[in-house]
Amino acid sequence: MKAFRRGLVVASIALLAGAIVRLRGKGTVQPTSGGWRELKGPDFR
Amino acid sequence: MSDAPEPRDPEPRGPAVLLAGVGAVGARTARQLVDTEGIGRLVLAERRPDQRRAALDAIGDRAVALDDPYGEWPDDIAIVVSALPASGDAPLARLAIERGVPFLSGTEDADTIDELLALQPIVRAASASVVIGSGLAPGLSDVLARHAASALDDVDEVHIARVGTSGPASVATMKRALRERPREWRDGAWHEGRRRPTRELVWFPEPVGGRDCDAVASGIVLLQRQFPDAQRLTVRYGEGDDGANWRRAGDAASWGAVRVEVWGRRGRARDSIVYGVVERTAVASGTMLALVAASLLGVLDLGRPPGPGVFAASEFLEPVPLLTELARRGVKAATFEGVGGESPVTPARG
Repeated sequence: MKAFRRGLVVASIALLAGAIVRLRGKGTVQPTSGGWRELKGPDFR
Repeated sequence: MSDAPEPRDPEPRGPAVLLAGVGAVGARTARQLVDTEGIGRLVLAERRPDQRRAALDAIGDRAVALDDPYGEWPDDIAIVVSALPASGDAPLARLAIERGVPFLSGTEDADTIDELLALQPIVRAASASVVIGSGLAPGLSDVLARHAASALDDVDEVHIARVGTSGPASVATMKRALRERPREWRDGAWHEGRRRPTRELVWFPEPVGGRDCDAVASGIVLLQRQFPDAQRLTVRYGEGDDGANWRRAGDAASWGAVRVEVWGRRGRARDSIVYGVVERTAVASGTMLALVAASLLGVLDLGRPPGPGVFAASEFLEPVPLLTELARRGVKAATFEGVGGESPVTPARG
């Protein structure tokens, strides 16, 4: 019974931690692409 | 309304151009030349009767035809422009040197470029001019590299990639380049890699997008002449349209593109500049060839060779006037504004 309770506490903490991480996640993966811009005069940069 | 026939255009005044080969690139070169004010008549030298007739029909009164570029030429030829398959360039260049006429080649073939560079002693002895690297890549790509380099304090890497072919001869040249051992300039020495050592995904402007490209030897010698102090120089070719244009034997209307990536130092930071061009391959190559010819003739002020000898066009063309004229004719360059990162091209394994 004691082990069951301990497992329940661990699972609750894990669920809580997962929820916090999920809610606070900002999606910080670096974008891997950019865009092309036409070069124009007078310097064509 | 009068029934009298409309008067024909007066005889064009200006230097006459012998254009050898009017295939996919040559036909576009001819069109661009006649659209350039100050160019005189065109002499189209083409052995294939159908191509010759089609080019004459397209150009009209401004052109006359020869059936053999290696035969007699009219006396007033001021420049020879070659859009022939690679094997035709060196013999024609020798003829031009003998006859005291500047020679311009749009070849992309590494062996032909080496052959033309080897003419240096006789070209200088004859006080003649031979200009190579006048197509899409080598050619426009090298001018873009120079343009990018001018915005950096030091250049340590230049990576050029190209896709697209323009006709069967161009397909044959590109296939040969991809079969042969690639060459790379690294840390002050040449390195020959294994065949297809490092296929890389390269991003070109749309509609070409991402293409697998392999290291080749084509054009690397001309790039090294321009950047002898760089640590790494590479040239890569990719198949166009996912290989479909191989099967179509180089559809002249297929897209071509170049991507030029230059790494170096700007101030205290390492920085990169990426330029690209996308256009129908034959149009881009033909326009570039015509503009270099017009510049050599002094009709357009885009830069002139410093003296007699064999030169790559990028060694003397001024990037901004050239890009201005190209844009006016519809060939537009772009810059990639993306996320910075490491130099993406891995070295060829020796």
